[in-house]
Amino acid sequence: MTSVPFEKWDGVSAYFTFADQPAVLLGLCAAAAAVTAFSVISGAKHELDCYRKVDNGS
Amino acid sequence: MDQQLAELSAKVQTLEKAAAMAGSINMEIFYWWCIALMIMIHAGFLAYEMGASRTKNVLATGIKNILAFAFVVPTFFFFGWWIYCALPGGFTVSEAGADALPWALKMGPNLSDNATGIFWAAFAMFAATTGSIMSGALIERIRMTAFIVLAIVLGSVVWILGAAWGWHPTGWLTTQWGLHDVAAAGCVHLIAGAFTLGVLINLGPRIGKFNADGSANEIIGHNMPLTVIGLMMIIVGFFGFLGGCIIYVNGAQWTNIYGQPATLSAFAFNTLMAFSGGLIGAWIKTRDPFWMMSGGLVGIISAGAGLDVWYPPLAFLIAFVCAFTAPMVAKMVEKAGIDDAVGAVAVHGYGGLFSLLACGLLAAGYPNMNDAPPISFIGQAQSAIVFAVLGFVPGYVLSLALRVAGVLRVPSKSELLGLDKTKVPVTAYPEGFGQPVVVPAE
Repeated sequence: MTSVPFEKWDGVSAYFTFADQPAVLLGLCAAAAAVTAFSVISGAKHELDCYRKVDNGS
Repeated sequence: MDQQLAELSAKVQTLEKAAAMAGSINMEIFYWWCIALMIMIHAGFLAYEMGASRTKNVLATGIKNILAFAFVVPTFFFFGWWIYCALPGGFTVSEAGADALPWALKMGPNLSDNATGIFWAAFAMFAATTGSIMSGALIERIRMTAFIVLAIVLGSVVWILGAAWGWHPTGWLTTQWGLHDVAAAGCVHLIAGAFTLGVLINLGPRIGKFNADGSANEIIGHNMPLTVIGLMMIIVGFFGFLGGCIIYVNGAQWTNIYGQPATLSAFAFNTLMAFSGGLIGAWIKTRDPFWMMSGGLVGIISAGAGLDVWYPPLAFLIAFVCAFTAPMVAKMVEKAGIDDAVGAVAVHGYGGLFSLLACGLLAAGYPNMNDAPPISFIGQAQSAIVFAVLGFVPGYVLSLALRVAGVLRVPSKSELLGLDKTKVPVTAYPEGFGQPVVVPAE
């Protein structure tokens, strides 16, 4: 599998990586969205741990 | 002779093609620098909020502000831009939305499309601005992740739905009611202010803000000069914001977002006059540098809806009146038991509302394009109600849900200790920064 969607520049429109593979684009979008969502969850967990430490006096 | 004509025709075609490409590139360059300037808005909000925080919360406040930007940008790519392109008719999905899906070929480097990326980026900056508007009001007691969720909903869903409806050439508020909101006073400022009010009601005040009898204490930030400089940086960034509110048309006059002819000169006249009117209005009322600078900001917002048509002295007067009255609105909010740490509801919510109504009152009759009704007070007032409800209801409901789930507000022990000591691994002022302010009720 190559990330390059064309072989020559003549007549090219969309030239970004995987532009010719819609399923890959969908997968990359889903992965980026998942990372974003995970980061919120990770932040929430970090906050909760910090608050617990303060509440427990440690 | 025929050969000469053919050569001439070929040369004309080449020149036309070159002119068109030069126009496209000029357009990209113009918005590129608008985007860069708009990032100054975020630098300004960052300084402004950090200055308005006490030393025990200053870094946590800064992190919160920066994360609004960080999370709104990708979510605006995932669904915000699609909302704008797909929903100008209300809740029916337009075919134009197909090109704005995050996996569409226009949503990435594309040699046949110089416009989508640069417009997406400019709108993403507007989106992040709404998050920053809310951010300052909630400082020192909201949970970071609750704020991030609220900022995503405000920046990548709520305001942009309002923009699709009222800041779009075919938005239904304009095609049905003739809404004129050139500089996004309604869809950015009023919506963000109303959303913030909804959140503040559920979040509650900082510990020590109100006494048992309901009277308010002033919680003073640790660095007023930083706050004032931050506000001035927002004003600098506003020039990028306003540049993003005018449409570059290759080979023809500028237009506003509704397709009506406009000029950047008009924006320059009225922005500066409104800024000055706002500064003076708030200074006369309060003599307070914080409110003076906030007055400059609310002054520009108040002239925003009709920024393309005001006679400059009228823009000055509109801004003066709005900035003179905005501190009174902030006082009313405080008297209602709501702790808006930076006056965001007054500056953005009230300023946006004032702007739409002033435009309806003083610019009524200006014609619209494509058979849409002319500007009218009723059309502006109705649209203001739509924006206010669109902002307030999701802000209130979502923050209520977060509160019920117990994840909206930091625990009181952490709030009293300070959020920096609670969860930030570095220290803002390791060698000290004056004496910490203690509020009587703490």
